[in-house]
Amino acid sequence: MEFSYEVKDSYAEVKADGRLNMVSAPKLREFVTDVIAGGSSRIVVNLENTAFMDSSGLGALIGCLKAARQAGGDLRIAAVQPQVKMVLELTSMDRVLNAYASADEAFGND
Amino acid sequence: MPSTPEVRRAVVIEDDPDIRGLLVRILVKQGFEVTQAEAGLPGVEEVRRARPDLVTLDLNLPDLDGLEVCKLLRQFSDAFIVMLTARTDELDKLTGLDNGADDYLSKPFSPRELQSRVNALFRRRQAPAADPAALSELERATEVQQSLLPKEDVRVEGYDLAGVFRPSRSVGGDFYDWYRTPDGLHLTFADAMGKGMGAALIAATIRAVMRSTGHRRDLDAAFASAALTIAADLDSSNSFATLFHARLDAASGVVNYVDAGHGLALHVTAAGSVHRLPSGGPPVGAWAGSAWPQSAIGLAPGDALVVVSDGVLDVFESVEAFTAAVYSATHGRASAQSASDAIMALAPAETAEDDVTVVVVRRLPQDAAA
Repeated sequence: MEFSYEVKDSYAEVKADGRLNMVSAPKLREFVTDVIAGGSSRIVVNLENTAFMDSSGLGALIGCLKAARQAGGDLRIAAVQPQVKMVLELTSMDRVLNAYASADEAFGND
Repeated sequence: MPSTPEVRRAVVIEDDPDIRGLLVRILVKQGFEVTQAEAGLPGVEEVRRARPDLVTLDLNLPDLDGLEVCKLLRQFSDAFIVMLTARTDELDKLTGLDNGADDYLSKPFSPRELQSRVNALFRRRQAPAADPAALSELERATEVQQSLLPKEDVRVEGYDLAGVFRPSRSVGGDFYDWYRTPDGLHLTFADAMGKGMGAALIAATIRAVMRSTGHRRDLDAAFASAALTIAADLDSSNSFATLFHARLDAASGVVNYVDAGHGLALHVTAAGSVHRLPSGGPPVGAWAGSAWPQSAIGLAPGDALVVVSDGVLDVFESVEAFTAAVYSATHGRASAQSASDAIMALAPAETAEDDVTVVVVRRLPQDAAA
């Protein structure tokens, strides 16, 4: 899995490309924590190219959300693909992790 | 202490079989050679025989008070003694007294907590650590996981039960547990995040906590308090677990259940419909302040409650395709076992990456039950 990020006007966009599983989950956590530590606590994780997520991947997103809120910001997810959407719905985590159609819209009204 | 490396021995004195099993496994993982006793007097005899370096001692034993046992042990043993108690209010009193114990731990405890307490005790003495048996971590994790499955043959009149579990190469945190109650059956089905020893030990804790709340009649209250205990344990490991817990009233066929983030329980009716039971809230330990309202279904004669792990789901493109396939595998089967086998076959061992677990609770058709 590959990570990249870009600081936009009101948020930082993190891209996570590949499979978000037991191997890559700790790396995502570390990557996002670094971005938050760098001063951006409003984060959008763009999941456009994340085709698969398992329970460890979900755990990483939850951990990143906690970290962002802790730092006074928020974490939102965008461009969620079918399998990831399925995991979020089954686990009722769609109530906690808000999904937006695109990274632009995630903090559009704030 | 002799300077040659030697095996560290421990004796676990505990009457609750689940907690005892967990203690034994945690200590074995730490490299101890462990023996056990389920009451005070046999415990004293075991300590005399095994001459252990460590004793874990439950305060509330069926025959003698734990403090009495401790006094008896101190007459001949200088082992480290760790006392365990479920009553945290007792803890303050105990620690202030010179009871002969070296440390105290309140139940429920996390495996990590026990490990660090034990390590701290032994650092004081600097005993040479033994190489923890020849088993690999994976083999030990498998052992823990297998130990969680119900061993006794449970029968509920008018029902047919089956549970199948197939671990993957990289042991996950799946387990199911069931036991008889005066009214019918309690069923717990859980999947702890991640894989390996960590997930297996979390599963062991969940099983013990869920069993300990089984006597509470109010399902909402029982689940809420169990979830708090489990979440406290999970918090330190940044983990969570999906959990489905159901209580069957055999006479009426009513199943009251709570689903925390599992979402893979299905009601397959004799009439030919299938209804997936959506989860009532996030997994336990995932998000603070979560609540899990209970729901209910009624099992008519010939209906089945099917609970499946996500190892089966992974094979399908969508939840709809999964639901349809499980329905086809279940509907019209002559027994719960044949239905579980058919569901297992949906996720062939060669392709499944995760553990696969299936539980079927089928209410017998009226003609068969009569």
